[in-house]
Amino acid sequence: MIPPEVALPVKLLFGAPTAAILFGFFVMRRLKPEWTHWPILASCAAVCASAAWLAAFVHAGHGFDQPLWTWAMVGDWGVAFGVRLDGPSAAVLAMVAFVGSLIHVYAAGYMKGDPGFNRFFLVFHLFFLAMIGLLLSNDYVQLYLFWELVGVASYLLVGFWWHKESARKAALKAFLTNRVGDLGFLVSVVLILLVFKTTRLQLVYMTVAGKQPELLALIAFGLFWAACAKSAQWPLYWWLPDAMEGPTPTSALMHAATMVTAGVFLLVRSWPLIDAVPGMGEAIAWIGAGTALGAAVLAGTKRDLKQVLAYSTVSHLGLMMLALGLGQVGVAVFHLIVHGFFKAVLFLCAGNVAHALHQSTASIDQVGGFRRAMPLTYACFVVAALSLAGVFPFAGFFSKDAILDAAWHHGGALGWLGMAVSAGSAFYVFRLLFLTFHGARAEQTGPAAHPHEADAVMTVPVVFLAAGAAVVGWLGPMVVTTLSSGWTHVPQGVPVMPGDIALPHVNYAVAAMGTAFAALGAGAAWWLTMKDAGWDWRWRREAPWADRLYASDFGWKSLCDAFVRGVVRLGGFVGVVLDKRWWDGLLEGSTAAARVAGDAVERAALGRVNDYLWWMLAGTAILLGRALR
Amino acid sequence: MTLDLTAAVWVVTGALFALGLAACVLRRQLLAMLLGIELMIAAANVALVHHAGLFSDAEALAAVAIVIAVAAAEAVVGLSLILRVHRMGGGLDAGELSELRG
Amino acid sequence: MTLPIVLAAGALAVVFGVVMLLHRSLYVSAMCLLAVLLQTGVIFAACGAPLLGLLQVMIYAGAVMVLVVVTVMAAGGRTGPRFADFSIPRPLAWAGLAAALVEGAWLLAGAAGASPAPAVAHPALQLGLGAALFKPYAVATEAATLLMFLAALALIPEEQP
Repeated sequence: MIPPEVALPVKLLFGAPTAAILFGFFVMRRLKPEWTHWPILASCAAVCASAAWLAAFVHAGHGFDQPLWTWAMVGDWGVAFGVRLDGPSAAVLAMVAFVGSLIHVYAAGYMKGDPGFNRFFLVFHLFFLAMIGLLLSNDYVQLYLFWELVGVASYLLVGFWWHKESARKAALKAFLTNRVGDLGFLVSVVLILLVFKTTRLQLVYMTVAGKQPELLALIAFGLFWAACAKSAQWPLYWWLPDAMEGPTPTSALMHAATMVTAGVFLLVRSWPLIDAVPGMGEAIAWIGAGTALGAAVLAGTKRDLKQVLAYSTVSHLGLMMLALGLGQVGVAVFHLIVHGFFKAVLFLCAGNVAHALHQSTASIDQVGGFRRAMPLTYACFVVAALSLAGVFPFAGFFSKDAILDAAWHHGGALGWLGMAVSAGSAFYVFRLLFLTFHGARAEQTGPAAHPHEADAVMTVPVVFLAAGAAVVGWLGPMVVTTLSSGWTHVPQGVPVMPGDIALPHVNYAVAAMGTAFAALGAGAAWWLTMKDAGWDWRWRREAPWADRLYASDFGWKSLCDAFVRGVVRLGGFVGVVLDKRWWDGLLEGSTAAARVAGDAVERAALGRVNDYLWWMLAGTAILLGRALR
Repeated sequence: MTLDLTAAVWVVTGALFALGLAACVLRRQLLAMLLGIELMIAAANVALVHHAGLFSDAEALAAVAIVIAVAAAEAVVGLSLILRVHRMGGGLDAGELSELRG
Repeated sequence: MTLPIVLAAGALAVVFGVVMLLHRSLYVSAMCLLAVLLQTGVIFAACGAPLLGLLQVMIYAGAVMVLVVVTVMAAGGRTGPRFADFSIPRPLAWAGLAAALVEGAWLLAGAAGASPAPAVAHPALQLGLGAALFKPYAVATEAATLLMFLAALALIPEEQP
């Protein structure tokens, strides 16, 4: 059973958001839709407190895995619901609860006055609740259900402004791409059920040794495929940059806390499975590193603030995958947590800038020199940018350095790839910083002419998050303690070691090298935005082929578009030729045949009583003949 | 060949039954069809009475009595139906009652 | 003695039946059927079931055929000239009348026990008929009687709107 000292927080984690959503839907929606955020913020507070409580509980060395009830029993298997609290879930849950709650507060200011305020908060909180459920799942099927719930909520939020066609398209793209990935998860769940006869995480961990390697490889690949879609890795990353069409708090929550971390978390959860497949980790590391570098380069070429940040997220998720692939589970989770903080800050700052322009997003053409008008936002952005670039002593330094260290020690090209990503990260984030808050600004008219700092409700959460982005790196050892305690203190007393939990010792040479690369990137950014201010516009003009290359994500987007178009054409063929022409033709032909036959028979049925008597006579004669013979 | 009573009855009843059937099937007037039915019943009754005498079976005679009663009732009901159809404008021609036409 | 009577009555019945079938006038058809039914009644009597013969004459020839004729006359007015022909061909009428007379006389004679005995009167069978009708088939008889009564109700014309 659930340890009594944590029964209350566990209940609150599920009960408070559910109650808030139901209350908001059934009561607030009718009575006072503009107050919907109050019960939901109260629920956020309860979730935060519960998450902190649970993190402390796990940090103290406890953990539990408790099935609660089974739904839809079929034979001896059913969809089991339970709660599993261990290192990864507690650590990520604490980050998700804290960051997510602050984004909720920010959203209360950002969405103020929107006609869909009530709807937004309900779906937003559902998103949050789905992520909490995902983190606490103790069964693959349960995990899958919450995983899908996260996908649905993200679809609703990305397409929140449904009257914009681009928003609808982006939502559809995100949802469909995730469906493509979810197929992998589904196949894996079925295979897990087939191979292990159970989907409970704990039992899968304990019996993973000695199973068929081919099936295990298939399972691991399916899980990674699903994680690729959710965590926006090549080859399924492209939905994330488009998912900027939703309101900014959605983007922040999606990139920092709820959506994209789910994929990494799934791999952390399934690490014993992936570890059992030789070469899988290496492949994940390579795909992660490649995605990280490609996305970092692309982020340096995008013009939309949120788009740059979206590619940045892809890049950092790639770094997490790199660490994970190298077996550094602790490092990956640590970076996930740190990334949640600084990426939330960056998005919320971008939201503030867009808000100042009275737009849903902003392009670098419209901004410049905002540091005087928005000092608080500027300061937070600087802290987060330094954190992202990995500058000592900000949080990003510790986690990124750990990843670089792992990659460097693995040796070979992966180390250099990591360094290149470091330089690229620094370049794009400082380019954004300089272009937005420093530098010149093109003449603007209308309400965008005089940017102003946002309200307190939109700056205070950012300040808190920025503080987190600054200091959370020092909590590394604490995170590691939390991570390792839950994994080993499983109820049956069977320890399951999920790769390396401990952070590598700081290697000064690697740290110096990473910092040097970051400085190189930052310097290049400064040179190309401040010193040579027209560069960003010039290269697009002078090298349109490069612009095209970057716009199509090195051609991958065009390839995918071509593939999708091919599939659509195949669908058209099936729909028009196979279905409409052949199958419908068959069906309509049958009705036509029936009609012709009916017309033929109709001539025999004139409705005259005498004719019927003839038929009756014939029938009687036949019956009599049979009877008398 | 000597013409015995049974054969004579068979010939007569067969002819009467055929005539009744023909009236029923061939004639268009509802009344004529009803008359045909009555004729068929009468023919069957004749055969039944003869064979009752042949086999000394009193129950067959009882059946004939009941058949006569039922046939009379049937004729009355049929007549009332015909009259009703006629009053509703349906005429007396079965050919006009073709609502079941396909 | 039975055979000639059956033959004669049967031949007459068939002739009238053919006329019934072929004559276009419903009135004539109905009258022909009346003749046919009379002949069958005679055959009944000849076959040793005078009671049934009487029943046939009474119920059919007496009651039902009058009904039919009344119906034909009631309906005939509107069905056009074709069926409004209420004249019976003279020879046919004479033949029917003559047959009725001869047979009636013969039956009366037979009943009086005078000239050639009409049929083997099967007294046991007659007794059996009574016994069968009112003992094992009492319910059926009652039901048939009730049915006739109910059928008579059907003739009551409905309220004219």
